[in-house]
Amino acid sequence: MNFSSTGKLTETSLLEQIINIKKETLLSSLKQQKTIFVILIFLVALFFILDLFLGSVSLSAADVIRAFFSDKQGHLETIVYKFRLPKAITALTVGIGLSLSGLQMQTIFRNPMAGPDVLGITSGASLGVAFVILGFSVNMSADTIKGFGNWILVASSWAGAGVIMMIIVFIAIRIKDIMTILILGIMLSSGISAIVVIMQYFSSESLLKAYVIWTMGSLGNLTSDQLNVLVISVLTGIILSLASSKILNALLLGENYAGSIGLNVKFARIIIFTCTSILAGSVTAFCGPIGFIGIAVPHMARILFKTSDHKILIPGTILLGGSVMLVSDIISQLPGSEKVLPLNAVTALIGIPVVIWVILRNRKYSGVW
Amino acid sequence: MKLRDEIILTISALKIGYKAGNGEKVVLQDLNATARKGELIAIIGKNGAGKSTLLRTITGLQASLGGEICYEGKNILNHSRLELARKVGYISTETVRASNMSVYDLVALGRFPYTDWTGRINNENNSFIMDAIMKTGMMPFCSRYIAELSDGERQRAMIARILAQDTGLMVMDEPTAFLDIGSKYEILHLMNNLAKTAGKTIIFSTHDLQMAISQADKIWLITGMELMEGAPEDLMIRGDFDHIFDSSNLRYNSDQGTFTFRSDEKGSIYIKGEGILRHWTEKAVMRAGFVVSEEKTDTFIIIPSGDSINWMLVSQGSIVECRSIYELVGKLTIEE
Repeated sequence: MNFSSTGKLTETSLLEQIINIKKETLLSSLKQQKTIFVILIFLVALFFILDLFLGSVSLSAADVIRAFFSDKQGHLETIVYKFRLPKAITALTVGIGLSLSGLQMQTIFRNPMAGPDVLGITSGASLGVAFVILGFSVNMSADTIKGFGNWILVASSWAGAGVIMMIIVFIAIRIKDIMTILILGIMLSSGISAIVVIMQYFSSESLLKAYVIWTMGSLGNLTSDQLNVLVISVLTGIILSLASSKILNALLLGENYAGSIGLNVKFARIIIFTCTSILAGSVTAFCGPIGFIGIAVPHMARILFKTSDHKILIPGTILLGGSVMLVSDIISQLPGSEKVLPLNAVTALIGIPVVIWVILRNRKYSGVW
Repeated sequence: MKLRDEIILTISALKIGYKAGNGEKVVLQDLNATARKGELIAIIGKNGAGKSTLLRTITGLQASLGGEICYEGKNILNHSRLELARKVGYISTETVRASNMSVYDLVALGRFPYTDWTGRINNENNSFIMDAIMKTGMMPFCSRYIAELSDGERQRAMIARILAQDTGLMVMDEPTAFLDIGSKYEILHLMNNLAKTAGKTIIFSTHDLQMAISQADKIWLITGMELMEGAPEDLMIRGDFDHIFDSSNLRYNSDQGTFTFRSDEKGSIYIKGEGILRHWTEKAVMRAGFVVSEEKTDTFIIIPSGDSINWMLVSQGSIVECRSIYELVGKLTIEE
């Protein structure tokens, strides 16, 4: 106890004591979060390896290890190198991309139900893809598509996502009501689907087939060039997100308050929307519209880490997004069976319970998310 | 006694409003006002008078259409966003809704202009945050989520946030709206305290004229397109408050500090007696629509004193005894 005669001195030491107590509680919650991070990193590694082992053709651990260390170009090596490994990397990348994009959208729209698929961003990306597959490729030779096609595909997907993003922002500035924005997002998606249907009507049978297969969502159809483009894009998105965690934290307050604490809101918006469009656009371009990962995973991260701090939520979402997508892929392969489930069905079944949980919790807190 | 003469905000010939297409929608113009260190300034005006627009313009969230706003002599336009965020903090009527955000996290965001690009909270930032939490009495709520706070607690947390922002000026848009009466006075007390002990200048808008008059050092009164400033008493003596209302039926009683509906005045009445009972009887009589007369009237009231515990209502020779003010007012209305 400090029995100093001057009141001020006692006051300062009291403040110091309190600061120390607070530091301890902060440290203990930080310790908890660190443990969760370690577990998640372990899970990502585990699911990644499982994704290599499990599939329509069952391989033993020894088979896979042998494939990695052999120079032969046999049946086994082809399965592991040409199919399983790229697919596992794709799953990881797609999970990270969609989840991060969802987290950023939920923060910037301050809307727990925001996500790339819900607000029509994925549809926008689809429209971009449809233009390339159904429209432009008619005028392009097969060689052009092989050479620049991947970047054209992904760029048009970004553009589509970006345009829809801007429309949603334009609406969101004027209309604050969460439900109205969501309904408008659904309307936008439907409108875009209508345009795509019209485009399908006028396109050739083979292009149509290519497009329809694309819309089913798949992780396994990527060429190694496409995988490179996807990984580079998502990595860019990850770096941009990590660099903007302070901005995202400020945006939790809403744009007015964020401006009043010194954030350049216009600049912040451009950064976040570019980042989201790159993430959601690239994933959609190569793997089709995959639902519910973007909306559900950020909530899983919030539940686990019990924080609103993006310095923790972003890495958490990255790890969770990767694991959830790897698990979805493993399930969709129906290990040991010849059949494969549509990926979108699996992600929906995983994501929907989380979304329902969030809706029910929000009712309790009367709209607070 | 130290005189407060440090002017921290000067507004001159300010024109505020919105740019609409090529034209402008002017809300208020030719505004002149000053704010000194440690002053509690209340902005009063009708709904839609431009209070919020003025506050947003002062904060730099909205560009002015002309004129000047100067912080310690430096034009607001020559401030970077971060510089401005170190001079003025802002609380709007908008509620912050974010899941899993603790009071500490919220207050920590006040350090935004001082942290590096990672937003890391170092020891210095942490002591500012804890100091702000202490001063606003939010210590017990430090780890609570803001979604779980009551309206009054949340408002205190918001004040802690701008306190951590360490600005000389705090701008608050209707900080006591939607609060219950207890929280209302707690928040006002806190604001007063910050102005007087921490030397913060607080500019806030309010609809509670009574509260503003009793607490504010200065009032910025917005009527029509004008802004009048002065101590509440100055404005009262000049009769400026009469201009707040469009309706000529409302009148501000500058001696009482209350409002009456002019059309309701039913006549004058004389009250005989002194003390606290007289004070409350006067209030009740005025509420019933009468003017308290200095001279004796035909109908008058005698306040309980000495052996009499009842109010006497004397009217044309007949006396009615009333056991309470409620009964008295009831009788008075029938008499009339």
